[in-house]
Amino acid sequence: MQDDVLMQARNLLTSYAGPPLKIMEVCGTHTHEIFRLGIRNILPKSLSLISGPGCPVCVTPVSYIDEAIYLALEKDVLITTFGDLLRVPGSAMSLARARQEGARVRMVYSPLDALELAKNETREVVFLSVGFETTVPGECLALKQAEEQGIANFSLLCANKTMPMAYQALKGSADAFLYPGHVLAIAGTQSCEALVREGVSGVVAGFTASEILTALACIVHESAKGKAFFVNCYPRVVKATGNPAAQELVAHYMEACDAEWRGLGVIKGSGLALKKAYQHRDARLRFAIPRQEGRANPHCRCGEVLRGLCLPTDCRVFGRACTPSHPIGACMVSSEGTCAAYFQYGLATKPARED
Amino acid sequence: MDQTVLLAHGGGGVQTQELIDRIFKAHFANPYFTADDAAVLPLGHERLAFSTDGFIVSPPFFPGGNIGKLSICGTVNDLACMGAQPLWLTCAFVLEEGFPLADLEGIVCAMAETAKAAGVTLVAGDTKVASKGQVDKVFITTSGIGRLLGNVHTSGALARDGDAILVTGDIGRHGAAILLAREEFGIEAEIESDCAPLWHLVQAVLEKTDEIHVIRDATRGGVGTVLYEIASQSQVGIEIRQEDLPVDPRVSGICSMLGLDPLYLACEGRLVIIAPHKEQDRLLATLRALPHGEGAACIGSVTGRHKAGSVVVETAIGAKTLLPRPTGELLPRIC
Amino acid sequence: MCVGLSAKVVKIDHGTALIDAQGARREVSAELLSDLEPGDYVMVHAGIAIAKISASDTEESSQVLQSILTPTDSAQA
Repeated sequence: MQDDVLMQARNLLTSYAGPPLKIMEVCGTHTHEIFRLGIRNILPKSLSLISGPGCPVCVTPVSYIDEAIYLALEKDVLITTFGDLLRVPGSAMSLARARQEGARVRMVYSPLDALELAKNETREVVFLSVGFETTVPGECLALKQAEEQGIANFSLLCANKTMPMAYQALKGSADAFLYPGHVLAIAGTQSCEALVREGVSGVVAGFTASEILTALACIVHESAKGKAFFVNCYPRVVKATGNPAAQELVAHYMEACDAEWRGLGVIKGSGLALKKAYQHRDARLRFAIPRQEGRANPHCRCGEVLRGLCLPTDCRVFGRACTPSHPIGACMVSSEGTCAAYFQYGLATKPARED
Repeated sequence: MDQTVLLAHGGGGVQTQELIDRIFKAHFANPYFTADDAAVLPLGHERLAFSTDGFIVSPPFFPGGNIGKLSICGTVNDLACMGAQPLWLTCAFVLEEGFPLADLEGIVCAMAETAKAAGVTLVAGDTKVASKGQVDKVFITTSGIGRLLGNVHTSGALARDGDAILVTGDIGRHGAAILLAREEFGIEAEIESDCAPLWHLVQAVLEKTDEIHVIRDATRGGVGTVLYEIASQSQVGIEIRQEDLPVDPRVSGICSMLGLDPLYLACEGRLVIIAPHKEQDRLLATLRALPHGEGAACIGSVTGRHKAGSVVVETAIGAKTLLPRPTGELLPRIC
Repeated sequence: MCVGLSAKVVKIDHGTALIDAQGARREVSAELLSDLEPGDYVMVHAGIAIAKISASDTEESSQVLQSILTPTDSAQA
């Protein structure tokens, strides 16, 4: 049965003979799976996939890493983080590097695990709160439990972001979007459905091989009809209303703020910050972190890569000074990053230039 | 390159290779210095295999074994991979002050038992004690000598276009068992390390045919890393089929929780065997009839269709794509 | 950005669910889903169950494809 489904979806895509279509996947996990499965390699030339800025590691500005390193090295804080952030270069070093210099940095699976660590610690514990709609509820849940159980030594360093404003910013960059299934499992589908009225098309996609191929087949099918569309191809997980309990939880602790996206700059209302009543849990205020300038490597073109303005192969450090073992930019660190994917999957086919 | 040693330098991937090339090879280079698991040395009319390996596994006790069993299997298997019957082993312990003697005895018992099962003799040893905090509980180094069977020539450099690639069982189980034993991620599964001495498998396949080209044990860095090493040493392309990779469902479950790929998880009782396609069925039947070979499978082939040094995967959707090169520390991917 | 794990609920206890993915088990928060019962399937992200799952991916993909391939076209239902 699974093979039949894969075959059907595959045939719909490989036999596509319509006009060129640009499809943008907005979610880094989609980018990762699309590369891993080799989906680009079976598509006809007329179907192109572009990777959007949906990897939280990639869009997190350099200054954020600097803030975390400041806490770890200067304030003797135990930093807890998802593994994804460990190797992202800050202005001077990455968290992995800071750990070699004696900083205490612990990788955790869940924000709730960070809270558990805090319970057994006398020192301050800070969780690096990054991620989109999918990840924020867990971070708020940790906050809620910290409040309820009076765990005073736990705080968040927030760089959370939300997608709706980013869709607006990216509106013209593709013919259709592959919407991020797990973001919408929390947020619901209204904001994407509303985009149809502005002429923006897209489908909600899951993450397995058959789900991604089916969602792409659906885009191809709907595009032929010539008008904007929205289809939820992932209703087994994504409901129109999303997860109301998660939405209420987040609304209780956080509110919209302007946020800096690496590459896209500051997007109004695209971030989440702790509400006033919970600012004692805000690591920036609690430790009076001085403003970090965040000097990215001047040769790094991650910003342009994230906006689709250049390919990783156009960057002079790509594949030479900047590789997955020695990343210069965030897009090379995260396995969801476009540069890492290009490097790992051998798309670095342009001849190397002489420097 | 970095100016200090990083954890990634010990990961078995690109960075380990960089470290070896820049520091060790640069100063040790000689005709016998080997990129294989053991050096092959002439002695009179005989050929000896000689290997050494250090073990620092944390935690030292894990489901399916302990650091002692591991230290015997590691060196026995390195010798076996050269087609050498393991004969004599030495061991050196570095113990942390305060380490319980009962635990040490548990480790040593496991070593004796495993050595017996593997048909090797422990002939010399050394003990050092480091003050508390200088080492983590117990580090073991074992070295071993084996005698090569008459006509055998296996090397990572001998894979040829048209060869079949076999693994002797499901992959990534040791790495998964260790991840769980560290209790960092709160995951539980009834899973044991695949840690086992494998000379009997090597002996059996070498008795079936003279045409075994490569035997490697897929330890640190897993099967994915070993395939890249072979592709590079032999200057061939390799193609594997995702669906043919034997993976225990529990290992798959753990990998999907942590965003890891079983191809890069360590095995300690699994061989990658490369031989001409015509030998495939006979070899699989031989392996499957023996302990630790029951799950043997063909996972792909050596092919001239792909660039030398590359490893290509045929994925679940029937597309072909490069296998990402293993790099650095394994980091669970969550968001 | 959002690695999800689909897993079966084995046990529920005070807002915590024990989940099983092919024999790998972990406790995750069930606080965001009110009506979970043992036997349900959930999507888990970073230790939190974020959605109840109502079908298998193959079933669902098959349905979506059928709606594309049949001329009546009910994909937008």
